[in-house]
Amino acid sequence: MGSRRTRERGLLAGAAALGVIGLAAVHTTLHPAEPWRPVVVGGVALLGFLVVHGALCVSGSAADEIMLPAAAGLSAIGLVMIYRLRPEYLIRQAAWIALGLAALVLILGVLRDLRGVRRYAYLCAAAGLTLLAVTVVAGVERNGARQWLLLGGVAVEPGELVKLLLVVFFAAVLAEQRAALTLPGRRRWRAEFGRLGPMLLCCLGALLLLVFQRDLGLAMLYYGVFIAMLYVATGRMDYVAAGLAAFAAGAALCYHWFGHVRVRVDVWADPWAHASGAGYQILQGLYALAAGGVLGTGLGAGHPMLMPASYTDMIFPAIGEELGAAGTFSVVALYLILVGRMFRAAVRAGGAFEALVAAGVATALGLQAFIILGGSTRLIPLTGIPAPFLTYGGSAAVANFAALAVLLGVSARATGRRRQVEALRGAADR
Amino acid sequence: MARRTANVGRLLAVLLVLLLAYLAGVQVVWGPQLARSPQNPRLAIAAEETQWGRILDRHLTVLADSTVQGGRQVRRYADGPSYAHLLGYRSARYGLASLEMRYDPELLGMPAATPWEASLGFFGRTVRGDDLVLTIDAAVQQAAAQALGDHRGAVVALDPRTGAVLALASRPTFDPAAVDARWPVLSRDPAAPLLDRATAGQYPPGSSFKPVVLAAALGAGRATQRTTLDCAASVSVDGLVITNFEHEQYGTMSLPRAFAMSCNVAFVHLGLATGAGPIIRTARALGLGQAPRFDLPAAPGYLPDPRTLGRRGLAEISFGQGSLLVTPLQMAVVAAALANRGVAMRPFVLLQVRAPDGRVLAAYAEHGGRDALPSGIASQVAADMVEAVRDGTGTAAQLPGVVVAGKTGTAENPHGATDAWFIAFAPADHPTVALAVLLENAGVGGQVAAPAARQVLAAALRAQAGQGGRP
Repeated sequence: MGSRRTRERGLLAGAAALGVIGLAAVHTTLHPAEPWRPVVVGGVALLGFLVVHGALCVSGSAADEIMLPAAAGLSAIGLVMIYRLRPEYLIRQAAWIALGLAALVLILGVLRDLRGVRRYAYLCAAAGLTLLAVTVVAGVERNGARQWLLLGGVAVEPGELVKLLLVVFFAAVLAEQRAALTLPGRRRWRAEFGRLGPMLLCCLGALLLLVFQRDLGLAMLYYGVFIAMLYVATGRMDYVAAGLAAFAAGAALCYHWFGHVRVRVDVWADPWAHASGAGYQILQGLYALAAGGVLGTGLGAGHPMLMPASYTDMIFPAIGEELGAAGTFSVVALYLILVGRMFRAAVRAGGAFEALVAAGVATALGLQAFIILGGSTRLIPLTGIPAPFLTYGGSAAVANFAALAVLLGVSARATGRRRQVEALRGAADR
Repeated sequence: MARRTANVGRLLAVLLVLLLAYLAGVQVVWGPQLARSPQNPRLAIAAEETQWGRILDRHLTVLADSTVQGGRQVRRYADGPSYAHLLGYRSARYGLASLEMRYDPELLGMPAATPWEASLGFFGRTVRGDDLVLTIDAAVQQAAAQALGDHRGAVVALDPRTGAVLALASRPTFDPAAVDARWPVLSRDPAAPLLDRATAGQYPPGSSFKPVVLAAALGAGRATQRTTLDCAASVSVDGLVITNFEHEQYGTMSLPRAFAMSCNVAFVHLGLATGAGPIIRTARALGLGQAPRFDLPAAPGYLPDPRTLGRRGLAEISFGQGSLLVTPLQMAVVAAALANRGVAMRPFVLLQVRAPDGRVLAAYAEHGGRDALPSGIASQVAADMVEAVRDGTGTAAQLPGVVVAGKTGTAENPHGATDAWFIAFAPADHPTVALAVLLENAGVGGQVAAPAARQVLAAALRAQAGQGGRP
């Protein structure tokens, strides 16, 4: 256990150093005459990860030692890029990270066992759908999507939090019904449909609300997580096939009915045909990536501000311009490591519910990273959702650190069980 | 369940690895090409931060450089109007044109020949752009501009052995340094001075197309050099009456003489005997009817579909009329292919890119060619073109001590007086220069275009003798 936390400490120190060096580089390049306060604040926020590490040490946790440093690395790169692109937002982002870390510690402390949450599954679903509905009615529009709620002057993006609530609900329903759905023998679609009814209704409702908000990225994410969890719980390829067919049909209908969907797809297919209009953003993203080359222009030496929404949706191409393929590869590698460790924890999780929650959260993070990274680079059509831990934003930070907390807990319990088993074996051998 | 969870994890890992491969493509493999896009705003920013590279001719004579006036960088052109269409201009308001646009990234010192070089910006910023060395010979270009005189028209001269463009001139022209001030006048002038007639002007070729018809007829076995043709004053094809130039009539004559005297009636007979398919195929093989791959955007011209042409249409294209359209650049390539034993070299104008310290960053000797005609056919047509200049319609192109091969054209067009054409190459036994001259509404090819071609040929041969005949 000691070596596990020791390794974590070293990696976290590395991530914090990376962030501070990056912040200092931006500062000396772009704002040499100004006070160093932002750099200090950013460094303090990154030290917060070491505080969490301390808490893990004190509580003797056996949690995975790679997830937290991977998230710290992404947060550090995000902080550096936000300071470079929007210096006035640095302090706020540092505060969001601190808030997220506080949420992480709180959840790790309170949620000793996920099974307790299972009782509130329907409450989670109701709360999630209500939040989305309220956003549709009372939300404010920013960047073409009505996905924000103003709470006391702070814009909150409920969709990020709802993501986790729905995962809990799906996991509860599936854990309960999976035995009935995986029985060998003849398939009774109608009866099965009844068993999954609440989940299907909830998913459909969420998707409709998101489409009304024009938040297509999140809709795609929810649906992907839904299908993945259905597959993990039941292994039924007929469900997966039906789900993908429904996705194709729904996507085709959306393309047909909604102008904003059509524009996104058309712009993706041929941005040059819309170079000065709807395709401007994605073209600027491509030029930024191209300008970066292998090693990038260096922090502060490129022109990522030519991209609209450079510090939110387009932060990844901005990294590509100033840090080059070295930067973008590092970010993708960090996601691969983070999501990989999350899946490792999910595979080892005990109990169907906990395993499903873990798998759902891991899928959500990985898929979210792919949707926005692929979207902002024109691998797939661009739909603006935050890149986990990287993009500026408070709601996303809290939701992502909460997700991290859940997975850290799952991994710790899995390790604990394994140790018990080993101890018992050892005792038996003796 | 654990196995399926792992499967989902693997799927996501595959997606992210796919993203990595795609990123490698965008940033490293296609990045340099993408960065060159004229729409990339980074080019405009680099233009403010960089001293623009110079443009030089093949002997390193400066054609364009830049100086700072009143805190602003200003482009200077050595002989602006003569090179306006080739070099283009740099206008803050109206953007870039021609080579200035095409090679803007090089002139701004931001080409990325290799992915590694693309990343060198990381280590330090370029302050001076790279120089372009062109295949152009300033002496030949000057001769071409003079030969055009006050006519509207174009001259394109190539080295047939490589495709290197020695001169490319278009008239009427403009002062590229005064584009900002003169734009309202230039853009509305009915004479279209901004149009590059050499690459973008599309004209009926008239009799300058006869070498193509001749090559097709010889290639298809429908005629030999000993074939005789009827050159009456006129011929009627399905009710369409075609007459000779100024109603000349020579009676029965040999194929080389009919070619040398540019007898329309004889070529109608020859074309009808050959058929539309071989003629259009030969024209296409020589590069007509398709946009040439060139440093500048070039027009495709037009070749009719042989299946829908009919006998009357076939009779018209047999002497270069009907719906045929060609550009001077295309006709220069035709002349060069005939000169180069049937191999059409791809025309090009960028010889080298040089760093400010003179280091050669990129050099191009040629861009390949394609077999347009069998060499035997090409040399027969070349021999007949020699005859046309020795004792035919092209005598005005004769040069002392050099055997010139050429073909005149006098093309009827819907916009007034005939367009005068001349395509030629020299010396006929080992050609080092091939050209096309077009003079809009200027009259008879042999009377106005052939003398103009003569001046340019002479200048080119003189220039090549000066450098020991190197290509």
